[in-house]
Amino acid sequence: MKRLAAFSAALAVLAVGAAVPSASWAQTKITLWYPAGDITAGASHFAEKDLWAEFEKKHNVKVEAVALDYETMQQKIFAAAAGKTIADILFIDNSWLPGFLKEEMVEPVADQKAKAWLAAVSPEIKELSDYGSGRMWGYPQYGIDIYGLTWNKDHFKEAGLDPEKPPKTWPEFREYAKKLTKRDAQGNITRVGYAIRHVGHPHGVVHKHFWALYGAGAALVDNPLALRGGKAAFNNAGGKAALQLVLDMLDTDKSTSLNFPDPRAAFLKGIASMQISETVSIHARQPKEAPELKWGLALPPVPKAGDKPVSLLGGWMYAVPKQAKNKALAWEAIEWINSPEKDFELCKKYDATPRYKVNWDKEPFKSDPYDQALKLIYPAGKNLPLNLGLNGVMDAMGGAIQKAWHHEATVDQALADAEQAANKAIADAAK
Amino acid sequence: MADQRDRSRPWPRSSPRPGPRSWRRWWAHLRARHVLHAYLFIAPVLLLFGLFRVVPSVQTLIYSVYRVELLRGRFTFIGLENFRDLLADAAFRTGVVNTLIYVLTIVPVSAAFGLGLAVLFDQRLRFGELLKAVYFAPMVTSTAAAAMVWWWLYNPQFGLFNVLLRLVRVPDQPWLMSSHTALLSIIIFSVWKNLGYNMIIYLAGLQAIPASFHEAATIDGAGPVARFWRITLPLLAPTTTFLLIYNGILAFQVFDQVYVLTGGGPAGATNVVVLDLYRQAFERYRFGYAAAEATVLFVLILGVTVVQHLYSRRFEVAY
Repeated sequence: MKRLAAFSAALAVLAVGAAVPSASWAQTKITLWYPAGDITAGASHFAEKDLWAEFEKKHNVKVEAVALDYETMQQKIFAAAAGKTIADILFIDNSWLPGFLKEEMVEPVADQKAKAWLAAVSPEIKELSDYGSGRMWGYPQYGIDIYGLTWNKDHFKEAGLDPEKPPKTWPEFREYAKKLTKRDAQGNITRVGYAIRHVGHPHGVVHKHFWALYGAGAALVDNPLALRGGKAAFNNAGGKAALQLVLDMLDTDKSTSLNFPDPRAAFLKGIASMQISETVSIHARQPKEAPELKWGLALPPVPKAGDKPVSLLGGWMYAVPKQAKNKALAWEAIEWINSPEKDFELCKKYDATPRYKVNWDKEPFKSDPYDQALKLIYPAGKNLPLNLGLNGVMDAMGGAIQKAWHHEATVDQALADAEQAANKAIADAAK
Repeated sequence: MADQRDRSRPWPRSSPRPGPRSWRRWWAHLRARHVLHAYLFIAPVLLLFGLFRVVPSVQTLIYSVYRVELLRGRFTFIGLENFRDLLADAAFRTGVVNTLIYVLTIVPVSAAFGLGLAVLFDQRLRFGELLKAVYFAPMVTSTAAAAMVWWWLYNPQFGLFNVLLRLVRVPDQPWLMSSHTALLSIIIFSVWKNLGYNMIIYLAGLQAIPASFHEAATIDGAGPVARFWRITLPLLAPTTTFLLIYNGILAFQVFDQVYVLTGGGPAGATNVVVLDLYRQAFERYRFGYAAAEATVLFVLILGVTVVQHLYSRRFEVAY
């Protein structure tokens, strides 16, 4: 009898021991991949240990956020999708979307959810979210990125310009840049009035000249929401004027130079007085890299008074891949982290701009000068086209900018060659 | 008796290829000569090599004649269309030309500089070991990290190279910023990066040459230059062959430094085949097209390697 009791007790202990781990195994785990480092301000919160605690408790799940190297992230996502080992939630660069759609890799947002989101968010977020007729492929990040003109207020004062009045038109812009340029005794430029991006990945070159191209009436493709087909739309008067603007600043005004580093670096180092790039990046880097710098933020200039300014709107988005194992939970997690409450909480904590209209009416966003300056720029924001051939179009356009500015082709020739290459890329991608 | 057999055959030369009856004998023979053990030992490597090298290579060859939509699992046979498109692709043609310029420049230049340094370090130099380590250091440095540093060195306004040029009153060079000098700038970086490796291999080659050859030549009245051209250089032919083939294969696959330093620009001036292939595959998702590029590159490397090998055999010497 004693033996039987001992045997039963041992069995019970074994059963309990087996049950404990099996309970924890029963908990579902969903994974999220995001870019490591300072690639985007909208990913800052993923490193928080307890970010998902409330959601995890409510749904008895574990959310695991994994940081990936930005340079190889797109390839990793693709390889993982092919190997069916992909994360449940992806935090992806908007510009990757056409390629992912080509491979039918991401799930659309449910119509009802999309409708509710588009009604609740501010116009610039709507521009970023809506891929035609209310179709959404994911939720854009908070603190979205928009390109803006930034200027050094001390340089303006030194050149006799009003530090609170940035140039509004192209002629003004050229005039200001000339006044702001500094030279040494030999006549070499030591500070440019306006810093340009003309080397590196062609996409980066296009991003930083997008404002002039679109501002002058050119576009990358004729139908920005068409996934397949269409034509390049930059070999026209607007495209030529946009390339000529910088060429004149290089050759005639000598207020910019090909010898200066990346515009953001040049601006933060004090060797450029104006530059046009990602506002979020300057906002994040300035306190660390140039704490003394006093700078202003405004819309990029337009060809002439009365023209509509345009600026590149971009950023990252939450998406669910088709190969995800826990799609329903993934969407729930995305909706939870992108709720109005979390939007407010995270934006306040990370000094970023919110997405919901209702949050813009609350402090600190309501009176923060940086947020308010951004709010003035946002209406000019334009998303990149969705075309499957976008990468090829950007390569071609980037090449045209480089050829023209480096004096390796005339503006006309550079744009004509680029148009041909871009149309071929669009046709190839549509096959 | 056993020694007279052809060692590459697992059965005796005199006996015919094993039939069903002689399998047992053949099996016993394999075991007796430890051939089986040898195969077992190399089996893991063969398996991994097959899995990660041979299978992907064969797959690439197959993909090159398909339009590949990897995630949809749709493979459309299109024959030679990808190759026809390649011929009409200006970016690819530029890539091939740039790759050939890069290979034809960097391979002999790296070897020549490596040989020069090796000859120098073959003498007893003060701090010789330290200097060898200094020259070899770039080889063990990450290409991407080193390229980032060189990006700043090449900056026309603030970079060290133009500062040095100004000291000797040479006009500033645009380096990476101009289509005319960008490829050359990448080649200079790559020569610097490869120098240490070439030096070490040549040094090993130099030290393998018996000293008696040089002593005999000296007694016969040969000076240092004559000894170098008549003895050292011919006896280094196997080393040179190895370096030319090895460096050539690596040079055809140049990617990291181009990606970091110029991204293929300005205006495609430094586009190379592997960069183009990478962009087609991972930015445009044209896997079949990228596979066709990889196939062309493979054929190019194979062709050049075979020619190099056949040509260099004429100069091989034994000692």
